[in-house]
Amino acid sequence: MSMETATLKQEHRNGHHHVYVPEPELINDKPRFKTITDIISGVPEGKMPRLWWILFGISFALMAMYLAVITYLIWKGIGIWGNNTTVGWAWDITNFVWWVGIGHAGTLISAVLFLFRQKWRTSINRFSEAMTIFAVICAGMFPLIHMGRIWHAYWFLPLPNSMQMWVNFRSPLMWDVFAISTYLSVSIMFWYVGLIPDLATMRDRAKPGIRKTLLGLFSLGWRGGNRQWRHYERAYMILAGLSTPLVLSVHTIVSFDFATSVIPGWHTTIFPPYFVAGAIFSGFAMVMTLVIITYWMFPQIKQIINERHIDNMNKIIMVTGMMVGYAYGCEFFIAWYSGNPYEASIFIKRATGPYWWAYWSMITCNVIIPQIFWIKSMRTNLAVSFIVSIFVNIGMWFERFVITVTSLSQDYLPSSWKYFNPTIYDVACFVGSIGLFMTLFLLFLRYMPMVAMSEVKGVLPHANPHHPDHELNGHGNGHAHEQHRAEKVAELATKNGGR
Amino acid sequence: MSAENFKLTGESKFGVIALGVGVAGVAASVAGLFIDHKTFYFAYLVAFMFWMAIALGGLFFTLIHHLVGAEWSIVIRRIPETLASAIPMMAILFIPIVLGMHDLYEWSHEEAVAHDELLKHKSAWLNPMWFTIRAYIYFGIWTFIAWTLYKASLDQDGGKDVTEKMRSVSAPSMIVFALSITAAAFDWLMSLDPHWFSTIFGVYFFAGSWWTTLACVVLLSMYLRGKSKLGEVMTIEHYHDLGKLMFGFTVFWTYIAFSQFMLIWYGNIPEETIWYKHRWEHGWQYVSMFLFIGHFVLPFLVLIFRASKRSFTVMKIVASWFLLMEFVDLYWLIMPTFTIVNPDAHHGLHFSWQHLTTFVGIGGLFLWFVWNRLTSASIVPVGDPRIEASIHLKNA
Repeated sequence: MSMETATLKQEHRNGHHHVYVPEPELINDKPRFKTITDIISGVPEGKMPRLWWILFGISFALMAMYLAVITYLIWKGIGIWGNNTTVGWAWDITNFVWWVGIGHAGTLISAVLFLFRQKWRTSINRFSEAMTIFAVICAGMFPLIHMGRIWHAYWFLPLPNSMQMWVNFRSPLMWDVFAISTYLSVSIMFWYVGLIPDLATMRDRAKPGIRKTLLGLFSLGWRGGNRQWRHYERAYMILAGLSTPLVLSVHTIVSFDFATSVIPGWHTTIFPPYFVAGAIFSGFAMVMTLVIITYWMFPQIKQIINERHIDNMNKIIMVTGMMVGYAYGCEFFIAWYSGNPYEASIFIKRATGPYWWAYWSMITCNVIIPQIFWIKSMRTNLAVSFIVSIFVNIGMWFERFVITVTSLSQDYLPSSWKYFNPTIYDVACFVGSIGLFMTLFLLFLRYMPMVAMSEVKGVLPHANPHHPDHELNGHGNGHAHEQHRAEKVAELATKNGGR
Repeated sequence: MSAENFKLTGESKFGVIALGVGVAGVAASVAGLFIDHKTFYFAYLVAFMFWMAIALGGLFFTLIHHLVGAEWSIVIRRIPETLASAIPMMAILFIPIVLGMHDLYEWSHEEAVAHDELLKHKSAWLNPMWFTIRAYIYFGIWTFIAWTLYKASLDQDGGKDVTEKMRSVSAPSMIVFALSITAAAFDWLMSLDPHWFSTIFGVYFFAGSWWTTLACVVLLSMYLRGKSKLGEVMTIEHYHDLGKLMFGFTVFWTYIAFSQFMLIWYGNIPEETIWYKHRWEHGWQYVSMFLFIGHFVLPFLVLIFRASKRSFTVMKIVASWFLLMEFVDLYWLIMPTFTIVNPDAHHGLHFSWQHLTTFVGIGGLFLWFVWNRLTSASIVPVGDPRIEASIHLKNA
């Protein structure tokens, strides 16, 4: 046994690993802990920039229009949409699936990437968790308003005593209710648990007044003690474990809405993982869009969400885009291979029939355009990232439109084939929901710490107990050599003039 | 850290035994071929797919490791790399399948195709010539990727800086890998029942393959710990991480299997449900239930605990169990189609001694090849610049 390995073995047995392996910096300019607090807490503490007000004005106006359109829709009935007897599901479910899909990035980043020890996620997780919640809210609106009689919404719930009957448990639409409400509640819980230490930081910085009282209330008496952190980290780990299957289950069940039927183009076994990949794809694209919009408003954030994060997100966009492309390919191949004439006909019609423009928009936006990210300089270019993310958002909307409308408009019975034309109310509901989403998001930026400060601090190089600068931050946690520590203390004492 | 420290010197015994067992197995298999060639080819396909799954899983392990820039798995990397490097030998071992096509695949029967509209439609894809060419295209692709990465990895041992190269090879390779493993699963397994189809089938085979490779890596590394200094760098922390992946992919396999089953059951279209019907009659229902329990329930219940993933004994047992279950899975995929080409045969389970001989034959040769490779180089990629971080892995 060589000396080297002998030492390693010895060290391992003792459970001490005083090896510090530097990693590429996640945060620019090596900020100290305080810089991070200042940047992030500074946003809600300060005045909003002009651009924020402009965007908020537009979003709020769209949201107001949305409410007006919904009011009219409920007054008049869903006949004001373009849905017809053949295409009974159109923009409503397209929007619903699009929004639920977008709502997947948050949990993926906070749970799955956490379990995979991806430290870079800390800069964007708060952000995308918030986005998730708002996207799920937007998604939930569409099944509700599609009912027409929204006052019967509670019929969704299994209330046997008051209803004198059960809901249809065999319907995937019913499972959607359970899956999405679970997802929403767990996402809110995850988001809130993560917020607690940061709310406490903001509380400590706030001047006495109503803001401090509210922050104090919601930070649940957080003091940042050792025991609190231990409980917090355990809770975070458990929530991450619980959320991971949820990331898969929600969009799996959304895919069941289609795939359990026997409609050509809907009934195919790859739908569950294909929908999950698509959801992550669109979710990351939306995170990208929002990050870049946030850059315009708060350029100081670039220190915390930097090129490396943009690069990584673009890689995930590219990979998930290709997974979606793989599913398109499999479906097409099996449509031919199966020898099922209905299946083959629907796929040929998708590409060459009346909706060819939607199909090729989908292929272009989802499969072709993200290929630009093979080039590293493109992955870190903000303008390119922004444009591609918008294309992906559009492409994923078209994907759901293609799936829903092409299969319905031309099914088994040619005499009932019909083309779907959206009305102004379809467009207004969709655009209005974006207004609702952006309003909520901008309010989040206005009032909440947009980045998880405590987590970002945790991945800074000098938070690593083996980093030479570690003790200088006053956060030595006893892992370091006592002797080394004593030296540092002496050094600091000299620096401070012997005090 | 030097490569010499991690060489398996004078450890040829395992290889010799493997070769001996393999040759004996092959000899017995050849005898089987003459005694009952119908059973032989099916047994051979099951055994071939089992070892092929491990080699392909090794290739995936290597690719994903480079792609995501993983640190924790560096000390383990040489094992999956070596497993993948055995693919060209599997290409040779594929020859009997080409020769026995007629005994395996209904679509290779001209008279069957002539009387069957669906088979006629599919014959553009499913015909003996194109099937063989495709298979060797897959082998060519996999060999190229596996050997490029294996060679680069050895260069790294010698001090060459190839980290970026390995990553840039892995990115396009992953795409080609995904497409080729899907096509191979469609060709070799799905087309056994040529009327049946499922878009998720490629993912299903992949899920089982990667799952089995994780188990194989656990077992091989445990054996190597006793023979070399691997134990000094590969600690329980690495097994803990492997255990997490084994747990995660137990769930993933189940998710994929469930997606396929659930959608076909719910849609209830006869041309799709027939595949499950064949696996729910004549005793096959017990294999189906056993597959669910053994491939999901038991591993799930055991691996969910942190303590199991951090116990050498438990990990060893679970990993061996995984290998058994992958065999059961392939047996369950392949054997019910025996009566498609042999309509007069009985419909129940066909467990013949030939399963044992072919399994041992292919497995012996596979392990002999792998062992030869393992003994010819360092078993740890000592030249990797981030190896220190991997050695000092610690689970929170």
